Amino acid sequence: MTSLPADTQIAPEPGRRRARGRLTWARAARASVPYLLILPVLAAVVTVLAYPLYNVVTLSFQRYGLTELIQHSGSWIGGANYGSVLHDSVFWHTLLRTVIFAAVNVALTIGLGTLIALLLVKVSSWLRVMLTVGLVLVWSVPAVVAVQIWYWMTNFQNGVVNYVLGAGQHDWYASTFSQLGLVTALIVWAGIPFVTITVYAGLAQVPSELLDAAAIDGAGWFRTFRDVTFPILKPILLILTSLSIIWDFGVFTQQYLLIRPEHLNSSNYLMGVYLFKEGYLKTDFGRGAAISILMFVIVAVLSVVYVRKMVKAEGVA
Amino acid sequence: MRSAASGRRRRARQTGWNLVGIAVFVVMVFPVYWMVTTALKPDDEINSASPTWFPLDATFSHFREAIAGSDHPYFWNAVVNSLIVVGITVALSMVLAFLAAIALAKYRFSGAKMFVALMIAIQMLPQVGLVIPLYVVLRNYGLTSNSVVLFGLILTYLTFVLPFAVWTLRGFLLGIPKELEEAAMVDGSSRLGAFFRILLPLVAPGLVATSVFVFVTAWNEYIFANVLLLDQSKQTVTVWLSYFTGTSRHTDWGALMAASTVIAVPVILFFLLVQRKMRFGLTAGAVKG
Amino acid sequence: MKGRKFVTVGFVALAALVFAIAAGGVSGATKAKSITVWLQTDAQAANWAPIVAAANAQFQKDTGATANVQYQSWGTHLQKFDATLAGGNTPAVIEMGNTEMTKYMAAGAFQDLTADKASFPNSSTWLAGLAASGRYNGKLYGVPYYAGSRVVTYRSDLFKKAGFGAPKSLAQLTAEGKRLSKKGFSGVYVAGTDWYFAMSFVYDFGGSIASRVSGKWKGALDSKRSIAGLTAYKNFFNAVSRASKTTDEAHPNPYDVYAQGQAASIVGPAWYTCCVGKKYTGVTAQFVMPSHVKGQVMPGFLGGSDLAVPVGADKSLGEAWIKAYTDTTSMKALEAIGNIPNTTSLFDNTKINERAAARSWFVPTAKNWVNVENENILRNMLAEILTNKLTVKQAAQAASDNIASILNAS
Repeated sequence: MTSLPADTQIAPEPGRRRARGRLTWARAARASVPYLLILPVLAAVVTVLAYPLYNVVTLSFQRYGLTELIQHSGSWIGGANYGSVLHDSVFWHTLLRTVIFAAVNVALTIGLGTLIALLLVKVSSWLRVMLTVGLVLVWSVPAVVAVQIWYWMTNFQNGVVNYVLGAGQHDWYASTFSQLGLVTALIVWAGIPFVTITVYAGLAQVPSELLDAAAIDGAGWFRTFRDVTFPILKPILLILTSLSIIWDFGVFTQQYLLIRPEHLNSSNYLMGVYLFKEGYLKTDFGRGAAISILMFVIVAVLSVVYVRKMVKAEGVA
Repeated sequence: MRSAASGRRRRARQTGWNLVGIAVFVVMVFPVYWMVTTALKPDDEINSASPTWFPLDATFSHFREAIAGSDHPYFWNAVVNSLIVVGITVALSMVLAFLAAIALAKYRFSGAKMFVALMIAIQMLPQVGLVIPLYVVLRNYGLTSNSVVLFGLILTYLTFVLPFAVWTLRGFLLGIPKELEEAAMVDGSSRLGAFFRILLPLVAPGLVATSVFVFVTAWNEYIFANVLLLDQSKQTVTVWLSYFTGTSRHTDWGALMAASTVIAVPVILFFLLVQRKMRFGLTAGAVKG
Repeated sequence: MKGRKFVTVGFVALAALVFAIAAGGVSGATKAKSITVWLQTDAQAANWAPIVAAANAQFQKDTGATANVQYQSWGTHLQKFDATLAGGNTPAVIEMGNTEMTKYMAAGAFQDLTADKASFPNSSTWLAGLAASGRYNGKLYGVPYYAGSRVVTYRSDLFKKAGFGAPKSLAQLTAEGKRLSKKGFSGVYVAGTDWYFAMSFVYDFGGSIASRVSGKWKGALDSKRSIAGLTAYKNFFNAVSRASKTTDEAHPNPYDVYAQGQAASIVGPAWYTCCVGKKYTGVTAQFVMPSHVKGQVMPGFLGGSDLAVPVGADKSLGEAWIKAYTDTTSMKALEAIGNIPNTTSLFDNTKINERAAARSWFVPTAKNWVNVENENILRNMLAEILTNKLTVKQAAQAASDNIASILNAS
């Protein structure tokens, strides 16, 4: 590294003059720094994903079933896979259902998660530790285990939820609304710890002297939150929201394992299960690839608003 | 006079918040509580129609069955395999992601937008649809044979956690108020060195939160581990756990809950280890002013 | 200082990674040949594992090669198999459920074993219902492994108290079950959408699910006889079972219901006696499900597994392992732990599950049959019938058309 004065990119100091033209190799070295910084990540990602992505795209234009998989070659059928999916009414109903499902889940997860993070600031420190440990306990339960616990708690014969609610032998898996409600409860429950801990970490970056200054100015809780805390939290909340949209739209494991294949049919699919059943259970890999690509495009469209806001949130000049 | 009344008001408010906190705690932790108590209850209490709230007849037989039972071999192998995979994934991903996050947050370079787009796009990929081609790729690289399959799994996990880690760390870096950075900058120091010495402590809470996420994600991952790890002696804990319910025979709920409890322990330990750094970040932010 | 620590962590991780690969690769290369065998986790049970171990030893004696047995779960083994088919590293032997076979045989996933059929132990006396699932287009692809049938496991104390013996007809069982039922307690616990059991009624009355007519599949659930069978099932369920009308036969497990004292009898595999709970183990017995025709056995679904050699694997070693695992000694051992062996030469009239297998039915051997199962056509039909959403005729008609279109799809 050279001993030239610090560049202006992190701390704009209009007084300093940039050394122009001098020691171009040093400048080239400095200019290459960001590329070197991102190189390892890029390398890891490309070596693993390049072929699978190429494969999925090409498969989506082919007829590729079990027979073709075994023979390692499919036959080109152009856009027929896409056509069959887009003409399938099940696809559109599932899409609508999944959009609503994702919206509800994201709202609940981010809302409740942020509220609990704010609560963490307010409670006594012993309770804060207890709550944080509790949240990590929840977070540490793998999805496959959480599903078993929830199934066990809500089962028809002797589930504890039925007992507590005095509901006798209520079958929580009988109607689509109840099934999706259960999946929502499970996902929100499992998703809150991550949101809370991340937002709480963000709150830790709010400098206390700014909070003190606001208190001295006589600002109430809400104004302090809006003017001091929220701007600092904004990038984090944007990230969390975008991620939640992506994850909740693609929910698969929870619905597949909690509602179970025996109860899943075209009237209660979410996109994740639809993709798995139509593509992989039926071993119609070409169609599965087409659905994967469509899902990707849809998720991109749904989250573009938040993603744009996030990319624009360049705190730096 | 004023301070006494406001003191009482403050304490009442504090108690109020604490009550809310306790209520939240009970609701959130109940399923975990149910899991642990089911692991400790004898079989007849597990299956009875009226729930037993507190396991007074606690038994460790389920734990013994889960860890050492002949029906569930390879427990310790699974733990070691998971620790190797997750440990390396967390360490590598934190280093690589932090470097890339610095590049995105603090430098302007052409191709940055594309890189960001790539990081975001990767997270939008439906993983379910990628399992088989990914298996084929790893096989072509020779990473599916027993001796190196864990490396193949690590590479797979890196691919999916790095974009998230980069994205999140970038957010944390952007969230650091500029005044703190400017105030802490020392003249004559090299830029990259400055990043490490100054930004690292400021973004420590963010690093901790992200590393916990990566740890949990990698520890609990199932879809890819299930397909890649065919030999039982190489399987991770989530795959090992799936054998408790995968059989068409008797599901031993007690043993399943016991196994689940045991598997959650390393995650909690990891968090307890790093959560001190989070509080450090809090005070560091204040002192630097 | 912080920065250096950070980078050190990174290098340590990288070093560990390199070490992990190196250590993996250094493990001594075995000179002897080795094959991979996929069996289901059922074979890992304490009383089953020795049979596998004996077969491995026999295999090593016969060929000098070692067998590495990997145990799979029913829920995921097909997706894993698809991955290995795509990647070209299939196991040498794989256990497949008998209803899973047709699809994979039609796709060319297995090697043709027809030429070597005579060399498989007991191949001349293979259990016909099971062996049929391993044949496609006249060629042999799967060797029958073991079968299972359904019997009724019941509380002999409750039956004795009420003065009932083992029922000789469906009508008798219905009456007895009804007498024993009360709120929250089933005389005969039957899950609403247990299609394996419900279809037995259909076949008992002479109907069927689907049949092949000049190359095309035609749904048969809407025939008069099938409808009679479905109606009989509906009446039976309403009389004797207090289970949820929409739940399947594994959630909850019937033996758990039995163990909690919520059923006087349950329908399922004979090995259910393993798990009926300490309280009732002494007062549990079994009888064969009676037909609506007095004195006859209701045809039961013949579940079971086959063993096949996937393409791309070593055929001679695969066949050798199968021979070692399905020889008479192994079959006798499998029979002793409660399975139905693959050969009628070992059948023993004292075994209730073998008696129950005297009359059996099987699903249509179509390559798309798995899709019918995955779409839950039969389960939905049963749920609609039991909840009175549709009449038996309407539900059967819809299901029949659905099945025909799925089976006939290319």
